Amino acid sequence: MSQDPTANFKQVNHSVTKVDARQLALGKPSYVADFAPADALVVKMLWSPHPHARIQSIDVSDAEKMPGVKAVLWHGNVPRIAHCTAGQGFPEPSPYDTFMFDTKVRFVGDRVAAVAAETEEQALAALARIKVKYEILQPVLSIDEAMADGAPVIHDEPEAHVPIPIPYEPKKNLVARVGCEAGDFEKGLKEADFAFDDTYETPYAQHCPIEPYVSLAQIDSAGRIVITTSTQVPFHCRRIVAQTLGIPVQKIRVIKPRIGGGFGSKQEILLEDIVAMFALRTGRPCFWQFTREENFRTGRTRHPIRVRIRAGVKKDGTITAIGMDCWNNTGAYGGHGLTVVSCCGSKVLPLYRCENIHFLGKVYYTNLPVGGAYRGFGATQAFFGMESTVDKMAEAIGMDPLKFRQLNHIKSGEGSPVFAALGEGKEGVPMTVGSCALGECIVKGAEAIGWKNRADWRRKSGRYRRGIGMAALMQGSSIPHIDMGGASIKINEDGSFNLLVGATDLGTGSDTVLAQIAAEELATTTDKMIVYSSDTDMTPFDVGAYASSTTYLSGEAARKAAADAKRQILHTGAEMLNLPEDQVVCKDAHVQSRDGQHKVSYSDIACYSLYSKNQYQIIGTASHITQKSPPPFAAHFAEIEVDTWTGNIKVLKYVSTIDCGTAVNPALCEGQTEGGTLNGISYALTEQYLFRNGRMTNASFTDYHIFSMRDKPPIQAIIVPSYEETGPFGAKSVSEICINGPAPVFGNAIYNATGARLNEFPFTPEKVLKAIQAVKR
Amino acid sequence: MKLCEFIRPASLPAARDNLRELGAKGMILAGGTALHFMQDHTPVTAVDITRLGLSFIKHEGAFYNIGATTPLADIQRYRAPRWAMHEICRRISTHQIRNISTLGGNICRVFPWADLPVVLLAMDARMVIYSGKETEFPADEYFKTQPAKRFLGGDILTSVKVPALQAHHGFGSIKVVRTEASFAMVTIAARLELDGANIKSARVAAGSAIPFPRRLPSVEAALVGREAATAVFQEAAGKAGADAPWRGREGMSPDYSRHLAEVSILDALERAATFARGRAE
Ligand SMILES: Cc1cc2nc3c(=O)[nH]c(=O)nc-3n(C[C@H](O)[C@H](O)[C@H](O)COP(=O)(O)OP(=O)(O)OC[C@H]3O[C@@H](n4cnc5c(N)ncnc54)[C@H](O)[C@@H]3O)c2cc1C
Repeated sequence: MSQDPTANFKQVNHSVTKVDARQLALGKPSYVADFAPADALVVKMLWSPHPHARIQSIDVSDAEKMPGVKAVLWHGNVPRIAHCTAGQGFPEPSPYDTFMFDTKVRFVGDRVAAVAAETEEQALAALARIKVKYEILQPVLSIDEAMADGAPVIHDEPEAHVPIPIPYEPKKNLVARVGCEAGDFEKGLKEADFAFDDTYETPYAQHCPIEPYVSLAQIDSAGRIVITTSTQVPFHCRRIVAQTLGIPVQKIRVIKPRIGGGFGSKQEILLEDIVAMFALRTGRPCFWQFTREENFRTGRTRHPIRVRIRAGVKKDGTITAIGMDCWNNTGAYGGHGLTVVSCCGSKVLPLYRCENIHFLGKVYYTNLPVGGAYRGFGATQAFFGMESTVDKMAEAIGMDPLKFRQLNHIKSGEGSPVFAALGEGKEGVPMTVGSCALGECIVKGAEAIGWKNRADWRRKSGRYRRGIGMAALMQGSSIPHIDMGGASIKINEDGSFNLLVGATDLGTGSDTVLAQIAAEELATTTDKMIVYSSDTDMTPFDVGAYASSTTYLSGEAARKAAADAKRQILHTGAEMLNLPEDQVVCKDAHVQSRDGQHKVSYSDIACYSLYSKNQYQIIGTASHITQKSPPPFAAHFAEIEVDTWTGNIKVLKYVSTIDCGTAVNPALCEGQTEGGTLNGISYALTEQYLFRNGRMTNASFTDYHIFSMRDKPPIQAIIVPSYEETGPFGAKSVSEICINGPAPVFGNAIYNATGARLNEFPFTPEKVLKAIQAVKR
Repeated sequence: MKLCEFIRPASLPAARDNLRELGAKGMILAGGTALHFMQDHTPVTAVDITRLGLSFIKHEGAFYNIGATTPLADIQRYRAPRWAMHEICRRISTHQIRNISTLGGNICRVFPWADLPVVLLAMDARMVIYSGKETEFPADEYFKTQPAKRFLGGDILTSVKVPALQAHHGFGSIKVVRTEASFAMVTIAARLELDGANIKSARVAAGSAIPFPRRLPSVEAALVGREAATAVFQEAAGKAGADAPWRGREGMSPDYSRHLAEVSILDALERAATFARGRAE
């Protein structure tokens, strides 16, 4: 047996305490709102009440005269610069279809005019005095309406364009189109003993971070704008604010303090341009925090996607063809539209071995809330279709769905044509899978849920029926050849280190994980790391927290920076010990001779290098881009009980297994796994956007139901280690994948309990009941 | 409402005097949680009644007398023979809300989703109102229309008398929710009085998917004098459609709400019957 490569790790693969735990537990000022000065102006926005309208006139003169009002912004007094609010690599694979303010409103919750006043009440009173005349336009309230011939054009402004050569036809409401083919899909279908053609619908959802969108802008003594903001993408934020205001990047500093959750929603620049503009206009600190209602209406959402799966299978279990067509409703603006739909294919299709593959994704504008990045990023939607059809294929050939997955899932050393074909805005990167413990995930999960006791639905009767369902899952870790992360690390007199990273901890624990990685590399302890993330003036660049990249990408940057510092530490340590460099090693925060007889502490090395002789700053710096996006894998299982009289579903037990490579911090990894799973459970069961004429009618936590701890079913997280050679100390990623499981798992479990197959969720009791009533026994 | 001033009277008569003086500008404040749902910005003076000794639960002969400012959490924790009020209180919102939200607050301004009016209707409770002197109102009369109207003149609810269940009485309530802390899709309560195998009297009330909490007379009529058996419960539950205008909730159809109410009535009746029959010793 090969030796466990993690056996000698002293920091990595240990559940050390989060580096920010104490400050958060003590309630120390940590979040954006904690830093708003008492004299900050309060910003409020007048939002569009209409899904689609042209602004014929705005009169802000009364509002400007209202008590306490310091400035009013609207399309007549700000620069008109087309840009994209999505925080992505530059130039973005998304249309430039947004202006700070426009003469048209495209969804209920679009910007009309903003006020900065001394108090919130004064700002709200001023908003009420803004007079707007609208010419109401016919709204496009579904993707079918958007695709129809002669549909109203949502983006008819001449400036709308894409900054890179990708398909974009705003006159047809088409935001993006992407596809790939491998082998011969039609031929594959013909060779099948059984063919499937099913269409699935996946719904809107909001990320619901407990800290809403919030930003603060101040002008510093040098006249620069300092934006303290709750963001996942500080560097993209700086670039996009500069672009939107038409000022140099040099004028802006973006600081990301602690963040109260993002889940993708804060990979978007929705407030920062406005607070910055007000700060410039007034010279005063300007603070803007969304209400929960604004978070729902104007904040970003998960794209609702229609997924059509066509597939063929032979009696022996060989999958002869898989086709996926996706229609993505991106709402009123197109940020992330292309990349989300690409990930429907790229993060899902490679999971099963198949030579004949078809993928086509299309993205359309509608006059509905705007889609954005959301944990799972398209894979969540596509896995619902894929894993439902996989169960159907298994049933058609009379094979246990678990065995069918074991037979067909991708394994270490195997590739998929999809990896090379589908990237994000460009072709992908050819890749073979390195680490893969999916097989073990399936075995362990099956055991934990009691799979062997699973009975066919036809053998079940009575009001309450139990069912067991499963799904196999994958995601990626970073976007290869696109994402970049940087880190630097310098030593202090007491042997502590400042670790400066552009990577963005948004509550995930990534500061801790990066500190563990750096400490492991430096042979010191995590508590010696003073982590600072992220500040565009102080820390190296990093694209930010998205695409499951932080541990794998930024972690490797941190490891390389630590290795660079370590080289310098060894050099100085050797000099102090009077030994050749190849005769010394780092161990327990010391440089020592190989036999351990002579040693000098990091603290002494720091003091020596800073004050004594041959002085220099020991500082390591590195950046990293990834060559591949190694998938984490997971197998999810649930046992549910269906009340066949009401359609209500009770989750009795949920098992989330996860292969994330090395779990750098197992406790945090379990937290991500449980959190992502719970997030997916309420997405599958209770979360829904309800609309009347394009207006969300349930924009509050009273009416939009996310699961809280009270609702949490027993969730068993099982970490199944593998070792990814290309990742820092064997790590891949963990944060997104777990949300992909619950919808297909419950869909399959409902079928196993009752024989009812639902092609759309949330699985509300009424839908479940109808489906059960339609089952012919 | 916008609270602009706050007063804490020392006695019940003083509170009533304050309220009468303030007229429309005064508002009784108990837990204050309902302010969340009263989002007009009318400026009011809050008259705090939480220090007037109205927080208690007393067993007084045939009744449990519950003070109007008793927090729901206290009712949830209380245990005594033939007492059933804890069950529904456990299902209302969150610990934090139950710690401050009071019995009186729940039933003096009734929101469509309120659970306690439904339970109190089924239990045939009596509301005690102070208007210089204390007067009792049966639940049927009290919940005929929005009770808030009764309190405009400065009167104050002081307590609620909930009958202690008799040996042959049984009670069951069902609250169907999407998540634990959410409002009910439907909320149902039933009290059955058995005479041997048969139903002697029945009170069945509903709330949440209908405009205002109410009893279901057709359902009750279909129970009285008949055997306490599932088939009878099922048939009676099927009358719910005739008794109230069921509305769709949570994106679901009115038909579904009615169906859910029927199943919940059946479940509540089964529970009440089991309760009434008592445990086989
Ligand atoms: C998020 C949330 C969820 C909730 N969910 C539910 C639920 O699912 N089911 C449910 O039943 N309840 C629920 N509630 C509680 C309910 O809606 C009310 O908020 C609560 O019962 C009010 O009690 P209070 O003591 O806070 O009353 P207050 O807010 O202080 O008062 C409410 C009203 O009653 C008047 N009032 C209060 N006491 C008296 C009195 N003694 N005499 C005369 N008038 C009086 C007040 O003037 C005011 O008009 C929820 C509350 C919240 C905030």
